[in-house]
Amino acid sequence: MAIAQAMCTSFKQELMLGTHNFATGGNAFKLALYAEGGGGKSSTTATLGAATTAYTTTGEIADSGSYAAGGGTLTKVAPATSGTTAFTDFADISFTTATITAMGALIYNDTNGDKAVAVLDFSSNKTSTSGTFTVQFPTADASNAIIRIA
Amino acid sequence: MFELGISNVGSVNVMTSDKGGLTNEQVADLAVDKIVSISDEAPAHIRQQANQFRDHLKHVLYHYLLLARKEERGTIIQALQSNGHKEMAEYIRRL
Repeated sequence: MAIAQAMCTSFKQELMLGTHNFATGGNAFKLALYAEGGGGKSSTTATLGAATTAYTTTGEIADSGSYAAGGGTLTKVAPATSGTTAFTDFADISFTTATITAMGALIYNDTNGDKAVAVLDFSSNKTSTSGTFTVQFPTADASNAIIRIA
Repeated sequence: MFELGISNVGSVNVMTSDKGGLTNEQVADLAVDKIVSISDEAPAHIRQQANQFRDHLKHVLYHYLLLARKEERGTIIQALQSNGHKEMAEYIRRL
């Protein structure tokens, strides 16, 4: 599969190196959208997964409405713990008046060299036509949050 | 070998619309998904009660979303009318 959901392996290492700061006032994280099957810019197809190390324009969707190259800035939910699990999350993000077909997304650290955090696989193509494209993040808890370390 | 920790990536929902913004029902769905999550491992009677609560919550949210949009349109119409844009105000009233 060209886009496979994963926490990027490089991100796990970078956590140990203190590269990423999810605290309020910490690093800025962005979400970029990607297409499969030649739907991206210049008919490129995204290949994203655990081996992805940084943001790439290959396979990124074309600019439309409020979506511009690089994607949108995410609003962080401060890291927390519950039981033995640490987690962090983001607020939902929307791109408006946009014509978009995307199969997945990449969360990356816009402050620190565009280093990859996680790949999201939408399972199928999601399409908005002159409309709203919303990515809803899960509830910020130990069972559902987007990034969890147990 | 033993494992000290497990890292996970959660699942996201994607909601899209055509020729306009999300509908009241879609926004209500987004809100309910954020408020209520039901474990697949919960006992059947708990799941049933949680699903009923979820349906009720969605109904209430939907109603108030409709009201919020209607009230905001009312405010915009009033602002347009008081600034001499009666045609535009009428157009928005018909939305």
